[in-house]
Amino acid sequence: MRISERKTYDCEPTMTDTQVLEFCKNGYLMLEGVVPDDVNRRATKYCDQHSNMEPSGILMEDWFVENVIVHPEAAGAVRSLLGANFHLPILMSNHRVQCPIQTVGGWHVDGNYHYTHELNFLQVFYYPQDTPIEMGPTQIVPGTHLVRNKARFMGHLASIKGAIPTTAPAGSIFLTVYHIWHRRGPSTASGIRNLLKYFYWRTTPPQRDWVTEPDFDFATAQYTGPGGAYVEQFRDTIKVSEMFLWLCGRHKSFQNLGGQSWPLPADRNDLPYGFPAGLPQPQSVEL
Amino acid sequence: MTETQKETMETLVTELQQGALTEASLRKGIVDIAGADSPKRQDVLYLQAVTTSPGAAVVGMLLVEDGELREGPPNSEDWPYQTVIEAVRDGWRIISFPNMALLAVDEKEFYGLGAEFILERWR
Repeated sequence: MRISERKTYDCEPTMTDTQVLEFCKNGYLMLEGVVPDDVNRRATKYCDQHSNMEPSGILMEDWFVENVIVHPEAAGAVRSLLGANFHLPILMSNHRVQCPIQTVGGWHVDGNYHYTHELNFLQVFYYPQDTPIEMGPTQIVPGTHLVRNKARFMGHLASIKGAIPTTAPAGSIFLTVYHIWHRRGPSTASGIRNLLKYFYWRTTPPQRDWVTEPDFDFATAQYTGPGGAYVEQFRDTIKVSEMFLWLCGRHKSFQNLGGQSWPLPADRNDLPYGFPAGLPQPQSVEL
Repeated sequence: MTETQKETMETLVTELQQGALTEASLRKGIVDIAGADSPKRQDVLYLQAVTTSPGAAVVGMLLVEDGELREGPPNSEDWPYQTVIEAVRDGWRIISFPNMALLAVDEKEFYGLGAEFILERWR
């Protein structure tokens, strides 16, 4: 079977406990320059020849699927977050713009969002060309996948502290939680900027089958991320821990008992009060 | 008084001192100073702060100036105001305070970006 005919895919996971937790905190993962230059050039040429907004035919091209969609680093990250035999993309969008565009796009969450601690699909972007700040890379606000909003109520938002441009060299792929706040950046250079967007889907229940770290400690891990800058104290901490435990397949044991209980950050001399039952302990800890 | 208004006033005073002030120039000068032929514009400043205190740190901003939407500088440290109170000290007038009814929405969820103040000034 040709790679482009496959519906699902499996490979070795590449992310560690710490990296998966960081994804839960930030809501995105950037893989810079992982796709080879010759593939980037070929993808750019394809986009020039198919300049519509949904060039889904590229998903039937073996060279593209092999080198981008199931690229070991990208697919390894997807495998880590969505589990074995994840579903491959069936729709390709291209946020293709003619630069320069002096105006900036409006902050938004994409439609049909579903705020949840579950991660059942990933929104992934691929830059086939160098995308410095002058080419208007997409801007995101790390941690805002945890902050509920509605696109029609975000029109008055402009400069946001903590927002970052996804400036990246050609061949970069970044994975996001669907409802992270984002917008198109303004551009000053001349040229075409392609930004291919596609989805992977989960087909198996979540479990901690990525690259586990023997010394990873659920009790002392830092669950607070950049989303903490925008919400009530520790609310993001709790959301991140719930999302992480769900990914570990341990959501049934998730609990937050309030006050200084787990998962709040602290320098304790014992297991935190309310530490979920059954979570693995570091190999160096004797119980 | 703006610089333009001051210049108009000084012109009128000079003409008076030189005996050159006419009824027409006096009338025109008064109209110019009053700004009757140049309606004022409202500038609007949206500031999202981390708490409802006007002294809290600002995490978001949008400026509507001269009828144009303006972003702040890319680096948040360079934004014109780091707190709402700094904007007030600079002449901005708060016209909308964070809606306290939002407290009742949900105990565990958070919506939107911080506590929003809307300010205005007329120029």
